[in-house]
Amino acid sequence: MLDLQGVRFTWSSAREALIEIDVLRVAPGERLFLRGPSGSGKSTLLSLLAGVLTPGAGAIHLLGRNLAALSGAGRDRIRADHVGFIFQMFNLIPYLNVMENVMLPCAFSERRRTRAQRRGGNVAQEAHRLLAALDMAEAGLLQRPVTQLSVGQQQRVAAARALIGAPELVIADEPTSSLDADRRNAFVELLFRECRQAGSALVFVSHDASLAPLFDRTLEFTSLNKARSPSRQDAGPEPA
Amino acid sequence: MSAIPTLAIKSLRNRRTTAALTVLSIACAVVLLLGVERLRHESRESFTNTISGTDLIVGARSSPVHLLLYSVFHVGNATNNISWDSYRSIAQRPEVAWTIPLSLGDSHRGFRVLGTSPEFFEHFRFGDRRRLELTAGRVLQDTYDAVLGAEVAAKLGYRLGERIVVAHGSGEVSFSLHQDHPFTVTGILARTGTPVDRTVHITLAGMDAMHEQMPAGRSADPLAAALGKHGANGGALHRPPQGEAHPHEDGDVRAGHADDGEHGAITAFLVGLKSRPAVLSMQRYVNDYPNEPLTAILPGATLPQLWEIVGAAEKALFGVSVLVVVVGLTGMLIALLTSLSERRREMAVLRSVGARPAQVFGLIVGEAVVLTLAGIGLGFALLYAGLLLGQPWLEARMGLFIPIGWPSTHEWSLATLVAIAGTITGFIPGYRLYRHSLADGMTIRI
Repeated sequence: MLDLQGVRFTWSSAREALIEIDVLRVAPGERLFLRGPSGSGKSTLLSLLAGVLTPGAGAIHLLGRNLAALSGAGRDRIRADHVGFIFQMFNLIPYLNVMENVMLPCAFSERRRTRAQRRGGNVAQEAHRLLAALDMAEAGLLQRPVTQLSVGQQQRVAAARALIGAPELVIADEPTSSLDADRRNAFVELLFRECRQAGSALVFVSHDASLAPLFDRTLEFTSLNKARSPSRQDAGPEPA
Repeated sequence: MSAIPTLAIKSLRNRRTTAALTVLSIACAVVLLLGVERLRHESRESFTNTISGTDLIVGARSSPVHLLLYSVFHVGNATNNISWDSYRSIAQRPEVAWTIPLSLGDSHRGFRVLGTSPEFFEHFRFGDRRRLELTAGRVLQDTYDAVLGAEVAAKLGYRLGERIVVAHGSGEVSFSLHQDHPFTVTGILARTGTPVDRTVHITLAGMDAMHEQMPAGRSADPLAAALGKHGANGGALHRPPQGEAHPHEDGDVRAGHADDGEHGAITAFLVGLKSRPAVLSMQRYVNDYPNEPLTAILPGATLPQLWEIVGAAEKALFGVSVLVVVVGLTGMLIALLTSLSERRREMAVLRSVGARPAQVFGLIVGEAVVLTLAGIGLGFALLYAGLLLGQPWLEARMGLFIPIGWPSTHEWSLATLVAIAGTITGFIPGYRLYRHSLADGMTIRI
């Protein structure tokens, strides 16, 4: 489903490559744990997978289409239709309420809107169903401004947003680093369950090795990425 | 994509204090711009509509603007008078349909007094060829009749039958009053929005009678001297007009009917011709009149000239209100730019759910558009509220009647220009965020 070959990426301001990956494959529905220390270029890799950045060399095939060969608008379309994203924190649009945040991807993707309607009857019902599955459907919570939610609640809303319309790929960038240990496992379990429900593959990036046993497969980012450029720090947020 | 306008509005609602202040500042700028434009337009309208239907204005030799100023606007004084003989001989020419003699120089409690004939009420036209109408009483008949302009009656609280005394000169305070010859208010005119409203109309015979006892020496007032700069013979101002102080030494004053027989010199007269095409040859005839140096002007040609002089200040005012619009939009620019750094993360989230960089750009520009349109809408609302409240005041104080109608094409185009300027202003933060969202990608750096 996801297939990287000979991918190289260099920031225009840097001399040495930050990413150099010979081969990376993710099967449909697979749960892949990508472990690596901060500053190793993980977030840059995720931007490449999402088609926000384009590699200097190599090919990234998502569902058979080479992202590197598509236009910016084409990559945006693929991302909108097929990729769900969960960030480490501040996932939510502050001026939308919980439901609106969850339904947001359906405003940008016809495909995900149709799928959400097919699963839930309509987009709002599907959003409600996902939130309920993530224990977020308490009365009063749904219409609440997202700024009044706890971090754990915010991450669950972000997960519901990543999953709505069943994208083929869910990318999670340190989504649990601001949660404590109990909540971390609970969150990952919920995420697994919903990914399985939606049939989505999950690429989960974290520096926290304790989560690794839960996944189908674990990859050490440092051994995957041949380029190690100490001169350039990955600009991703520091883990808490 | 319909998501972007919805997001723009929700985002603005989230920052409603800043948004409201921005809208208010744009609205104030729009009110000022449209208000100044409307005042400009209406004052020009009322200005160029001060006189209509008159083919020529004839006065002693002077600059056209000067003649127009003292004869129609009652600003300044004539340098010279016209002898009754010259007036009669021109009035009797076959091309002439009617004439209205005008005799100026006196005042009543700050309002100009105009000596004229009953023809004035019959032939004088203003605005869209509207004739003067009485709200009470009758037009001039007897020697000591006085017909008041609407504002004179309103300001001084005069009613029909009241007796008034005319003072010499045009100032509000005069030490020489024609107390022996009180006039009786016999008519009050409806409001016209022209200098007629601020004029006391009396008969030529009445004016002659009261000047019987006057000592010599009507002097030109300083305002006339200042305005006389535009005149060709401004140097003659300090000379007392010849033969003017006692225009009727022969004592040809008869009490009784207002409009018969001989009178003293007059200041100017209005001419209506039987056929329009004769106007240029008639003008030439008057300008070349052999017995007396005279000037004839076409009001339609001289009014715009005068507006060029009077309207200069209003152009400056327009410039200032354009600058206020610039300030209002700059306020919006500042508000949008300061919110940018905190919104980069929001933009990354939008990008992650599939928003294109162009949509990120559109979101910010959309907010600018919403703010500007709301500002323009509020501006129009405030303008109309202001007009409703200010209309009576403007009419009472400035004699300027501002009709409340739909915005004119000109006002719509000004509003459109403001909207376009606001949209373009939004391009600046929009482009910056667009650049950020391309570079930041999914990694949000704060």
